[in-house]
Order: sequence, then structure tokens, then C-alpha cells
Amino acid sequence: MIVSSLQREMIFSELEDVVGADHVSTRQVDQLIYSTDWSWMPQMWLDRGLIPARADFIVHPGSVEEISELLKIANAYRLPIVPWGGGSGTQGGAIPTYGGIIIDLKRLNKILEVNEESLYVCAQAGINGTQLEWALNEKNLTLPHYPASANCATLGGYLAPRGSGTISTKYGKAEDLVMSMQVVLPDGRIIRTPGVPNHASGPDFMRIFLGSEGTFGIISEATMRIVPLPETRLFRAVLFKSIGDGIEAGRRMMVDRLEPLVIRMYDPSSTASLVKKVLGYELEGAYMIIGFDGWEEIAAAQEKRAMLICEALGAKDLGREPGERWWNHRYDFYYPPLGLHLPQMYGTIETVTTFSKLEDLYWAKKKAIESHFGEIGIRYIGHFSHWFPWGASLYDRFILEETPEDPKEALHLHNRIWTVAVRTSLENEGMINEHHGVGLKLSRYMRAQYGPAWHLLASIKEALDPNGIMNPGKVGFGVQSNG
Amino acid sequence: MGDRHAPKPAFIENPLQVVEYCRYCLMCRHVCPVGHVTHNETLTPHGWALMIASAQRNLLEWNPEAVDALYKCADCGLCRTHCATDQPLPTGIAGARAAVVEEGLAPESVMALKEALERWANPFQRATPESPIKTGEDAILVGDAAYFRTPQTLDAAMQLLAATGVEPIQLARGRNLGLLPSSLGLSELAAELASQTIEEIKSTGCRRLFLLTPGDIYTVTRLYPERLNLGLPDHLEVIDLAAYLERSQENGLLRFEKIRGEGPYAYHDPEHGARIKRNHSAPRKLLRSLFEAAREVSFFWREDRAHPTGVVGGLNWVQPDLARDLTEARLQEAIDAGARFLFTEDPLALEALRAQADGRIEVSGLYETMAAHLE
Repeated sequence: MIVSSLQREMIFSELEDVVGADHVSTRQVDQLIYSTDWSWMPQMWLDRGLIPARADFIVHPGSVEEISELLKIANAYRLPIVPWGGGSGTQGGAIPTYGGIIIDLKRLNKILEVNEESLYVCAQAGINGTQLEWALNEKNLTLPHYPASANCATLGGYLAPRGSGTISTKYGKAEDLVMSMQVVLPDGRIIRTPGVPNHASGPDFMRIFLGSEGTFGIISEATMRIVPLPETRLFRAVLFKSIGDGIEAGRRMMVDRLEPLVIRMYDPSSTASLVKKVLGYELEGAYMIIGFDGWEEIAAAQEKRAMLICEALGAKDLGREPGERWWNHRYDFYYPPLGLHLPQMYGTIETVTTFSKLEDLYWAKKKAIESHFGEIGIRYIGHFSHWFPWGASLYDRFILEETPEDPKEALHLHNRIWTVAVRTSLENEGMINEHHGVGLKLSRYMRAQYGPAWHLLASIKEALDPNGIMNPGKVGFGVQSNG
Repeated sequence: MGDRHAPKPAFIENPLQVVEYCRYCLMCRHVCPVGHVTHNETLTPHGWALMIASAQRNLLEWNPEAVDALYKCADCGLCRTHCATDQPLPTGIAGARAAVVEEGLAPESVMALKEALERWANPFQRATPESPIKTGEDAILVGDAAYFRTPQTLDAAMQLLAATGVEPIQLARGRNLGLLPSSLGLSELAAELASQTIEEIKSTGCRRLFLLTPGDIYTVTRLYPERLNLGLPDHLEVIDLAAYLERSQENGLLRFEKIRGEGPYAYHDPEHGARIKRNHSAPRKLLRSLFEAAREVSFFWREDRAHPTGVVGGLNWVQPDLARDLTEARLQEAIDAGARFLFTEDPLALEALRAQADGRIEVSGLYETMAAHLE
């Protein structure tokens, strides 16, 4: 993005004035490490000996005021800004596609307030998820957002792509737990949303920053609802012969308001592969974990009701151990070599829809992926998690063991598979994504997702960021202003 | 509770290969002490692994900036301790450093240490004493830090052991046990020092080996077999001194005059404790047995997530600013928790904490305090 070494030094000098020399880097090694997040595309690129994208500067601000000043500089020079938390996004949202400045928020890692009366925690956006959780646990509290990425993601990273965690079925997504936020707008203004999330004082503008993935501003602080650690957590596993019965069981648990902590059903393919590999169970069918938490007698009663539902639908009760084992090892699925890793080609093409369309969506995607790419050995697996009173997410993936050696060819194939998956989701009234966000990977589908309503989002972008500096190329927005 | 029955780790023949699983995995980020104080993505387990993998793919040259970053890993082992699939990344990093040393690209400070270790067998440039030619059932590994920097720790340990009826032969007096050179990529030197120590252990015929620190336990039980393809005699029982003393205190072999009033106090878990799955309660129970009523306050970074001071991985020699930051973080944790007294038993950590405390908190050795209050 930067045209001359002179200009580079001019900008470096200005950035240094804001954050100090120790907190600006143009080192080659830092540019390399910040060139990839947790998404497949840049990782594959690097693996094949290519650098996906290089930020010109990596900056570590120590205060919200410093972020503000950095954005003013970026606007003056029309430099792209890429906010960076933990780099744990799987959609390429943190890749510095057009160079510019990466603003790494990890120095902003303080807990500002834990309010045990109103049950909220206010913290800076760069705090690590697990560190925040451990700090709350010391007070017998928890932020009930348990994403698999908690060890690496930051609080701001929970919110920017509207993430979900393992226990979202009871406590909601990150966006449901946030009470208020401090945001630095693209022009450097620092704003706060109201201190409470529920009111009737006009439109809820906090929500436009949730899911904006740094394209509308930078979340610098957030206040989140917290809860006391529960007296008990009960887990149990059941086995369904068909996913249709499992979906129906989950639906009944939700519409009967049993408040399950977790409902997670692996389709027969994942049960036979992933569950076997990570948990060691050899099962035929759809393995479902059901969990409840809270007061012992209430959780036990809820579980009893849930088991009656499962029994009525022909499920086999596997007992408590396979449920507890899943809970204790729920993140192991993401550690290599247990998790997906290069040189495999893979994509999490997850989606969400209503109960009435959920099973059809699953079969349609399975058929589409396997029929289009079956001859090259693709595998399609999925599980149903993150349940709502009206539907659930389908967390599905494609996996390919043999991939083209040429990186461009591999990328094109990856894109073709994604296109088939996303089109099938849209045709079956699924969303293009439930909780991983849009990032770079899904950016090109945003217009198809929203149709005429896209204009509204584009207008907001134009108004907030007329120079198009904020995370360009992501969430459907281009380098310059959009219309 | 010895380490005699713990499975012997397998030798890692190709340490550079181990980074392949870690290069895109971020799952141990939350425990890395260096990442925590630097806030830099590059200086995290994933960053180091990706650097090494990229160098192998000709995407990164080992220029001075990259080498400097490579030498900022503390080799504390927390990443591996918290890895669900037990990836030995610290060994991979040590392997990459060895390759850098071999190519003549290591920092000058590393090469200066190499020279000192080759000549003196310790980084303090002090002559090591002759090994005593003795045999016996019990031995204690002294090493270089306790011998040269905090001999009072060793004296206290000997006094405490004597009170339990044990008079061990002192081994490896003044000699580095090999962890420091291994961390820095000086693998041949590490193997040589380790071999000398193992030979000395064998020559005594001892059956019980007492160790002053978790770092020493890690070195002889894990690092030797895994990085250096060396092993202790099969019959040998490796004993964590703190755990042994705690049992002795429980059994009534050790009695202490109570320390009155004062407090609150905090305990810094010594470096490498998490990677050997230490019994973290033993030193805490010992401290509780010393104090009459003083309140114990806890670090956030404690037990299996305990962050080290700056004396790990040779940071105090090669990266003094980072080492200072890590030590300061430990002091600040204790001060923020309201502690007036801070205890630990690792000789080098004790020295570093004392040197930086600057009157803000009183830093004391666990063993010295116990010995001073023996009944």
C-alpha cells in the first residue's frame, strides 16, 4: 500500500509518536507471523512457500486514545487498518489483505470492573478469553461464553464476528451477553453505547458493531453479563439411529423450555470418525451430548425430562460417562493432530436455520458436496450445536486429504467447494454463517445473502468509513467506499 | 514419592519436525508467559513454530531480528503442559536454535555462554570443585546456581535433610546440569554436561537422588532422555526435596518454631514445576506449618499455570530486558495480592527476585526459612 521508503518512514515516525518505538514493528519476522490467522487460505499459502499478505506496520496501542490517534493517521494517509485480537478467526478476517496497519489490541488486557451485584464484567477488548475466565473463576463467577478458541481469542474477538460458545444453547451467543461497548470509530472518535442493553431509547446502535469485524470501528472495551459458577453440571450421552429423530429431540427440549446447557449431535459420519478419534467411542448412529447446569435438583429434573423425550424418539441412553468425557475433552477436537490440519483441505461451512428446514438443509448440503466433489474423495461431516428456541446451527465441514500441489489451483478448488456449500445453504434458507463470521472467505457472498438489504449495510459503511480504511476486503466491503 | 515409575520420554530425533503441528495452532497462547508480557503474536508458541516452519520453507531468513525473536522463548514448558496432544514444542525450539548455532548465526551472548560453559562447566565463570569419591544410598544434585549463587539454599537443604536422618552425597557441585545449554541450542555441550552428571550419579551407587528444584527434576527425568537421549540409572528414585520435607513434617520428623504475626505472604511456584506435574501443595503446606497465623495470598499465575521469573531458558543471559520484565511481573503479582513476604526455592529465581524487589517486598528462600526455624 505504501509507495515509497520515504513515505514509509514518515508514517513510521508518526506511529512511533503515538505508541512509542517499542510498540511499532516493521520487522520482517513480525510481518510474516501476522500474515495469517487461523483460516485455511493463508496457512495453505504459507505452506506452499508464498506470503499471503504483509502489513506495513504492526502497532500495539496501550490505550483507547492511542487507537484513536492511529485511526486519524490512517485516514490521513488512506492506509488500511486491520484490527487484531488473537488471530483465531477461521474466515481470514484478520489477514492484512491490502497491507497497511495491523492494530494488535493485546496490550489492552485489563479487567476494569467485576460487579458482583449486577453481575457484569467490564474489560478491555484485548484480554485473552481464558485469562478473563480464570480471573472470574477466582470469584466463583463465569462468563458463560465458552468458544473452542477461548485459549487464544480475545474479548473483542468474541464480539466482532458474533461468536458462539459451547454453552450458547442456554446462555446465548457473545452478542447476547454483551451489555455495552466502547468503540473507536474510523475517524478516531471514541463512543460508548448505553450502559444497559435493553431500553426503548431509540435504535440499538451497539448492534451494528456486532458482526462488523472491524469494518465499522474498533471495539476497545466491553461489558459482559456474567453468572455464578453453577452448583452442578450434568452431562449425558444418547445415540440416535437417525439425525431426524435427534433434531426432533433437540427441538422438543428447546420448545419445552428445558434450558439445556448443551445439545450437540454429531452426524453418523462424525460419530464414526471424529468422536472415535478424540473420545475413543466406536458407535453407529448419531451421538448426542445433553447437558444441564444450575441447582442440582432443577438440573436433574430438566435432565429427566430430556431423557424422556429422547427415549420416546428411540434413543439409546449411553449414560453419564460419555457425556462427561465429551465435556472434559470438548476442546481436544481442535488440537492437531486430532483437529483438521494441513496438508488437508478443509472448510467449516456452518450455517443456521429454523427447525422446519434444518434436516433438509443438512441432507441438501451433504448431497451437494458429495455429488460435486465425491470423485476427488471429499468427506462431509457435521454436528448440530448452538440451539435456539426456533432452530439450530449446522456445524458442517468438508475435508479433502489429497489436495492440488499448486497453491492457486488449491485455492480455486477451495473456493469452488465453498460456493457450492454456500449456495446450497442459501437455497435452503440457511444463513451463510452462524458464528465464525464473514471475514475474507465469505465476503463475496454478502450481497447474495442480503439482496436489496445489502444497500443498508453499505450505506452505514459509507457514512462511518468514507475512506474505506477499516479492514478492507472483509464482510463484503471493498477497498474504497461501497455502494 | 519418586519419579522412578514415571514413563521415560522417548528421544526426539528430529526436533524441527515437531513444529509442524504447532505452526498454526493457537491453543496454548493463554499460558505463554512471554506472550503475556510482550503482547506480540510473534513471541508466542504459534509464532515460534511458524517462524521455524517458515525458515524450513525458505520464507524466513535467520537474520538478527528473527534470531532475536527465536531466542525470546523461555523454554518454560507451559505450552506443552497445556497441550491436549502433548506437542513437544520447546524441544522443537531448542532444535531450531541448535541449527542457528551450527550455522554461526546465534547471538554473541549465546556464544559467550558456550565458551564459559565449555571452560568452566557453569555460566558464572567459576572453577568447579573436584567431585568427592564417595558411595552411598542418598545423593543430592547441587548444580551451579545453588553452589555459586545461593549456597545458603544448599546449606539449608542439607540441614533439613540431616534433621530427617539423611546425609546425602553432594553431586555436580558447581556444574550446570545441562538445561541452560540445551535451551540455548548448545546441544552437544548439554549432552556432555549431562553425561558427566550421570556418570557421577552412577559412581556413587546411590538409590535415592534428592533434587532442589523442579527445574532440576525436569532436567534429569525429561530433558535428558527426550533431548539428549540419555537416561538415569533405572533403579534410581528421583525425589522432589519439598515433597520429601513435607512428608517428613507430616510424619513428625521435622518440627518448626512458628513465625509469629507478620504477613500476608505469597509463594512463587518455581520454574518448570508445571512441566513435571509437581505436587504443588507440598511447599504450601510447609509454609503453612511455619506461620502461626499469617494469611497466605495467591498468585494468579500459580501451580500448573505458574509463570516463571526471567531466569528460565537463559533469558537472564541472552534477553536481559525480557528477563527483567518477567521477574517484575512476578514481584508485581505478589505486591498486588497484598503480600509482604514472598517465598520460593529455586536458587536463581530467588536471586533474581531479591535483586529486583528493591525493598517493596521481602523475598526469602523456602528452605532457608525452614532451616532457620527448625526446632
